[in-house]
Amino acid sequence: MRLRLPDIATDPDAFEAFYRRHVDGISSFLARRVEDPHTVADLVAEVFVAVLDSAHTYRPGRGSEIAWLYGVARNTLSAERRRAFKETRLAGRVGGRRPLDADDLAELEERIDAEATARRAFQAMSGLPDGDRAMLELVVIDQLTIAEAAEALGIRQGAARARLHRARRTLRNVPGIAPFVIGGTR
Amino acid sequence: MSFKEHVLMEIRTEIVARNDARRRRVRRHLMTAAAATGVAVAAAVAVPVLTGGGSPAYAVTENGDGTITLEIKEFRDPGKVEQDLRELGVTADVSYLRPGTRCAPRRGRSDSGPSFSEQEIRSKDPAVRKRVREAIEKARDGKAVKPAGGGRVRIDPRHIREGETAVMEFTENTDRTSGPEKPGVVWSFAGYLVTGPVKPCTVVPDPSWSVMPDPATNPEAYPPPGS
Repeated sequence: MRLRLPDIATDPDAFEAFYRRHVDGISSFLARRVEDPHTVADLVAEVFVAVLDSAHTYRPGRGSEIAWLYGVARNTLSAERRRAFKETRLAGRVGGRRPLDADDLAELEERIDAEATARRAFQAMSGLPDGDRAMLELVVIDQLTIAEAAEALGIRQGAARARLHRARRTLRNVPGIAPFVIGGTR
Repeated sequence: MSFKEHVLMEIRTEIVARNDARRRRVRRHLMTAAAATGVAVAAAVAVPVLTGGGSPAYAVTENGDGTITLEIKEFRDPGKVEQDLRELGVTADVSYLRPGTRCAPRRGRSDSGPSFSEQEIRSKDPAVRKRVREAIEKARDGKAVKPAGGGRVRIDPRHIREGETAVMEFTENTDRTSGPEKPGVVWSFAGYLVTGPVKPCTVVPDPSWSVMPDPATNPEAYPPPGS
């Protein structure tokens, strides 16, 4: 039945519950990757619009909600980077940035500051092959389990383990980053 | 309001807008809304009728308020019913069906029915079912052809526009047969309007046949004994 979407895409209240469960997690996820509060705020909106578009790919029985959502967020982020933050896809929204009040800014900046170490780790990882880096990011920085990270990237757990192992070996000797990378898993 | 609440509001609005667009698509592509409501009405209304043997198969009566009452006593001569209604200015298409069957949906274009999402039509939530039923009753379809109890259908020509046909599908209930030898007729009814040409009824099995309506939301399906 092609119209049987999960409720979050069609039921505003179901969506709201989902949004409130995850909006802070997604804000932090983005703050680890982006330093500008306005951009983080815009990306939060884009990720949750992407949730509407991708809701049909979520299988409640397969993998965790957060793994699926981080997968959506990663895809959104790379799509947004490709098109360099052009207009929002939300209908009815005039172009330009979302207004942020002082509290918003303070909260987002705090989040961005809190993730400074994570962003440094990203820089250290930047030399890794894409697939290995993505795996390390999700496990070490976003604190997903290996199974969840595999789900977010749409790969098998065996492949996920191999990537993670490779990435850690490469970074073992990078000063200042090694303990973080090696010890960062749950 | 914080940006998080802003974003939430924007996306809630977006969901509502997408649902509306989806409803319109459902209406155009999936099935005519009218046929879908027909399913709902058929489930909702199974009105027992008792008539004496030997009487005419049906009666068409003009009421003082401009409406027409069609009383079905036996399932025969649908063409004559149509002819009688035509003389009163109503273009009608009448089908009589065996138990467990229905006409295949999409018999024509519908401009008058309420439209629902697939989810709403198939919902088991009593509140949703009630809303769907009320929307059917409020829609022009529901006002144009409406089961009136006691084996009668009330037709209101004022709600039927030029070029529209009142399509009425009557389905016999399982344990009764019509005809002079067994005059009791129990039927289900689906009525709606079609704009332009009406395709003939292609009889297909009705998957919802054995699904009994919920007495809480569809009390008219459970008339008191002796009615």
